[in-house]
Amino acid sequence: MSGNITAAVCGVGTTDYGRLPGQSAYDLGLQALRAALDDAGLALSEVDGLIVNRIPSYQRFAELAGHDPDYVLTTPGQGRFSGICIDTAKALVESGRCRTVALVYGNSGRSDGMTYGGKDESAYGSEGRMWFPCGMTSPGAFHALMMQRHMHEFGTTPEQMAHVPITFRRHAALNPKAVMREEFDLDGYMNARPICDPLKLLDYCLINDGGAALIVTGADRAADLRKPPVHIRGSALRTAFAGSTFPPEDYWYAPLNQAATRGFAEAGLDRSDMDALMVYDNFTPTVLFSLEGCGYAPRGESGAWVSEGHLSLGGSLPANTSGGHLSESYLQGWALNVEAVLQIRGECGARQVAGARNVHYVAAAPVCSSIVYSGDAS
Amino acid sequence: MTEIPLPPLDGPELPFWQGLKVREVRVQQCGGCGRHRFPAAAICTACGSSEAAWVAVAPRGTVDSHCTFHKAYLPGFQPPYTVILVRLDSGAKVFSNLVGDTPPHIGMAVEAVFEPLTDDVTLLKFRPA
Repeated sequence: MSGNITAAVCGVGTTDYGRLPGQSAYDLGLQALRAALDDAGLALSEVDGLIVNRIPSYQRFAELAGHDPDYVLTTPGQGRFSGICIDTAKALVESGRCRTVALVYGNSGRSDGMTYGGKDESAYGSEGRMWFPCGMTSPGAFHALMMQRHMHEFGTTPEQMAHVPITFRRHAALNPKAVMREEFDLDGYMNARPICDPLKLLDYCLINDGGAALIVTGADRAADLRKPPVHIRGSALRTAFAGSTFPPEDYWYAPLNQAATRGFAEAGLDRSDMDALMVYDNFTPTVLFSLEGCGYAPRGESGAWVSEGHLSLGGSLPANTSGGHLSESYLQGWALNVEAVLQIRGECGARQVAGARNVHYVAAAPVCSSIVYSGDAS
Repeated sequence: MTEIPLPPLDGPELPFWQGLKVREVRVQQCGGCGRHRFPAAAICTACGSSEAAWVAVAPRGTVDSHCTFHKAYLPGFQPPYTVILVRLDSGAKVFSNLVGDTPPHIGMAVEAVFEPLTDDVTLLKFRPA
């Protein structure tokens, strides 16, 4: 950070989510970008930085958009990169390198028949082919191994885990955009088809098509735009690449804790100040690990903690009010960050957290990210 | 059996696969601090040394975790099947399978079973020790 520029989100935009045949990642990104610009009341010519995520070519995207920014970057289509992109946009704006940065995500994974696991896998550590001869593949299995160990080490039960997807589905029922809105109960969860035991179908995110965009600019400039600024008060990343071929023995506790602590310190806020949590839920276990790593739940006790109902609307820490990846759609963190902004702007309708001022986004992965949003500049 | 996906023999882990052919479990050992590691790495994350050698280690370990696939992802693997994460006594880890009918549990002591698959590839599996 230099001078007194601080970053704020001045516009957000999303597409529909679901099976959207005939729409490429470019189309979806363009739609989301247009929506975000309209939300902010900005022209594309006023955007001088462009970061695209999961969109194959920055050049093709900018050509389609008719955009000649002064800075451009393309990033891999892994969910951990939503936090990295937002962190980077904040740094670009606060350093003065860019005035206004557009972050654009487009994903046609469902129509493209995208699956995670199998011959194209490269999500974790060493190349997948190394382990195919024993049948090991897929991020789901990676998290299943972590969950199995967490259950062994701390006594976490499937009945406790169930609270996470049940709660997020209940939230999704209040979100017209959510892909899955039919509620289920404990029996529904326990009887769900196992995919990679101990994980069931309802522990897995929903692969869909969709796009999202955020516009980040200086808080002073954001104050003059159409919507109230949502300040990116704190942001921190912490990586855990060493040995990341295998599940981390601490469930990413240390990197999560470091990222959360740094993010809160920069924000001048504490976890107790958070009105809502948007937590990266590619699988149920990452929610539990994030709660422990960020200090919301005592270490090893996330299962008992979620059973107390904290994550529900009306609870002490409403989480994934949109339904998250488990029920709204797997937008790889982007839609969760949009939801954080919408909550602070009070635009969430039936799922609004009354008076939400501070919202925390966290992602547990080999790159842990922690972003603190606030309606207040300081 | 031959439809099982073959591992990459052109990568830095070739000594591991060569070891299995002669019924040895070989992993990298750091020349600086002696720590064992697998898969291959260029630098030791513990001491920073770039010196390393492939060495045979005790073919024994412990089950650190396990998961059971109920979905088919790969040719040659009909669900349900179980993958185990083994921490070798030397400290290095591998994903593998438990042979036989005993279900794995965390903390289970296991020992290596060498299963020839092709002329070039022998797989490292485990059985209860």
